[in-house]
Amino acid sequence: MAKGQKAALDAAKYRRFYEQMVHIREFEEECLRAFQRGGHGIGGYLHLYSGEEAIAVGIIGALDLSAGDCLIGHYRDHAYALAVGSPPGPVMAEICGKYDGCSKGKGGSMHICDAERGFYGGYGIVGGNVPIALGLGWALKYRQQAGVAVCFFGDGSMNQGAFHETLNMAQLYKVPVLFVLENNGYAMGTSIERSHANTDLTDRVSSYNMNRKKIDGQNIVTVYEEVSKIVADMKANPAPFFLECDTYRFHGHGAADEAKQTVVYRTKAEIEAAKANRDPIAIAAEILLEAGVITDDDIVRIHEEAVVEAKAAMKFSDDSPVPPADELLKDVYA
Amino acid sequence: MAKLRYIDALALALREEMRRDPNVFLVGEEVGQYQGTLELSKGFLEEFGKTRVVDTPISEVGIIGLGIGAAMAGLRPVCEMMRMDFATPAYDQIVQHAAKIRYMFGGQFQVPMVIRGPSGVGLQLSAQHSQAIEVLFAHIPGLKVVVPATPADAKGLLLTAIRDNNPVMVLESLRMYFMKPDDLEAIQPGLSEVPDDPDFSVPLGQANVLREGKDVTIVAYSWMVIQALKAANELAKEGISAEVIDLRTLLPLDMNTVLASIKKTHRAVVVQEQWPLYGCAAEISAQIGERAFYDLDSPVMRVTGAFVPMPYAKNLENLAFPTEVDIIAAAKRTLGGK
Ligand SMILES: Cc1ncc(C[n+]2csc(CCOP(=O)(O)OP(=O)(O)O)c2C)c(N)n1
Repeated sequence: MAKGQKAALDAAKYRRFYEQMVHIREFEEECLRAFQRGGHGIGGYLHLYSGEEAIAVGIIGALDLSAGDCLIGHYRDHAYALAVGSPPGPVMAEICGKYDGCSKGKGGSMHICDAERGFYGGYGIVGGNVPIALGLGWALKYRQQAGVAVCFFGDGSMNQGAFHETLNMAQLYKVPVLFVLENNGYAMGTSIERSHANTDLTDRVSSYNMNRKKIDGQNIVTVYEEVSKIVADMKANPAPFFLECDTYRFHGHGAADEAKQTVVYRTKAEIEAAKANRDPIAIAAEILLEAGVITDDDIVRIHEEAVVEAKAAMKFSDDSPVPPADELLKDVYA
Repeated sequence: MAKLRYIDALALALREEMRRDPNVFLVGEEVGQYQGTLELSKGFLEEFGKTRVVDTPISEVGIIGLGIGAAMAGLRPVCEMMRMDFATPAYDQIVQHAAKIRYMFGGQFQVPMVIRGPSGVGLQLSAQHSQAIEVLFAHIPGLKVVVPATPADAKGLLLTAIRDNNPVMVLESLRMYFMKPDDLEAIQPGLSEVPDDPDFSVPLGQANVLREGKDVTIVAYSWMVIQALKAANELAKEGISAEVIDLRTLLPLDMNTVLASIKKTHRAVVVQEQWPLYGCAAEISAQIGERAFYDLDSPVMRVTGAFVPMPYAKNLENLAFPTEVDIIAAAKRTLGGK
């Protein structure tokens, strides 16, 4: 759906989507500030999702997690957890390596998960999560459950052999996996032009005979409506689907290359233009205001609430202890 | 002699070999336009151009396969793994192909390639990005495994590895990348010095006695050498004289230097960053048992990482890998402490 198009939207649903996107944004900006000022326990890698929020929120919003739909992600994974409804405190505590974190502080930013809500976790090896999605979908089919498994990944994963093995098998066995390419144009410092022989990435999967589509990943209405239809079809006739979401990441690949990005692979002007024209939150605000789903006052209030929630999450984390020493040897085996 | 950082010594060896031998080229993720994720190859693209500094997609199997075929055809590729952890997706190419091609074709082909990248645990990189996996390669006939601990060895061993006619895994210490020459000099004078001779090289399979001592031999490699030297400094304050041996390469493995040292000290502590079972320390301890049993005054002690995937939380991470404190305790135990 284009900006400015009048539509009857489910007000409660879209208000909630808007809130989720703003909450994710503020949560991650809080993470970045904490990383930069230090002292909260955040170390190693921190990959932020800012700019891509409509994808996780719209897609997860179209799932029925309580009925068996599930998802798996890569290391840029905070938003998946927040969108499935994980409480922000434990997610933040995980990012900070605290004992009340969702993985007891053992996984960190790249390995958030929420078993109870069907989020099978974030993984650090590019392409490594994709074959696992095949198994998640397989289990649904095996149990004759009408559900879908969603697999989120970036364009980098499509250059791994594992990706192609998985798509072939998924189509061969008609496994209900929704493969979601979050195409933000770059894998770390490499643009798709420099890493894909065919930059039409939806076309790249055509050899698998799989249903596929490319959509605007910055528009929450588009994402939600398209995915709702796709998921309904997948449930009626189990088969995989490849969905490319066109998007943009506002920050560096990780918090550590925030400064380097504009020196070595993209211009400041490009980033500023994307922030001005392709911000999924601003786009949503415009559509929802026009549709009468939210008001200007709502926008201000939602933003304020998100800031408060992010700070509360950080407080929760700061108040949480580090994992006790005997935790080191636990969880290696079942 | 210049005082260099470890990463600059690696870059120097690579640059000098690329200048000297037009068959040498660098291939990997972000090695060119991005200047290397850790900036090891800064300036390389400008100097050598796109066919010798090859930016690749995130396709480790492809990177290693490209290297193997090019090496079989007579080039000398240096394949960079952004982190050695990412060699695991390409493990099949390395173990099933690179390592075996010479042997299974009766010596008709050779695979003169280097697979290198930062490795080792720490820095809160969590389970999939923080591991010491050298033994996964050191177990495999046909490979060579190089683990430099100092700037001089980084230069000298990488040079030798590139000139070697076999597939050589060079597992660099990520933590050493971040050490400044002054930090190293404070641990032991001369530790950051690299000979100026552009042809300076270090042979594979020759361990280095980095510090002489007479009471106990500490055998280590890579980042653990730094911990061992720190431990030796502390032990010296208590009147215990520790000899520190840097293995430098795990395959080939120089046991003679280790055994000669044990003849002198009669006690041994073997240190490794990685998981204890079936590890490098296990191998060395077994060989000491077989070949120097009667020289020993006490059981060989192993100091290793915990048998767990690396946890993220800093406090747990600190418990998961060995430090000088563990080495000191082990050394004292060989001397009759508890
Ligand atoms: C097998 C493997 N190789 C390299 C890396 C290092 N790495 C981590 S993320 C990344 C870029 C991935 O980009 P993309 O898949 O497009 O996802 P995005 O970060 O854009 O969301 C790279 C090269 C890795 N984690 N795993």
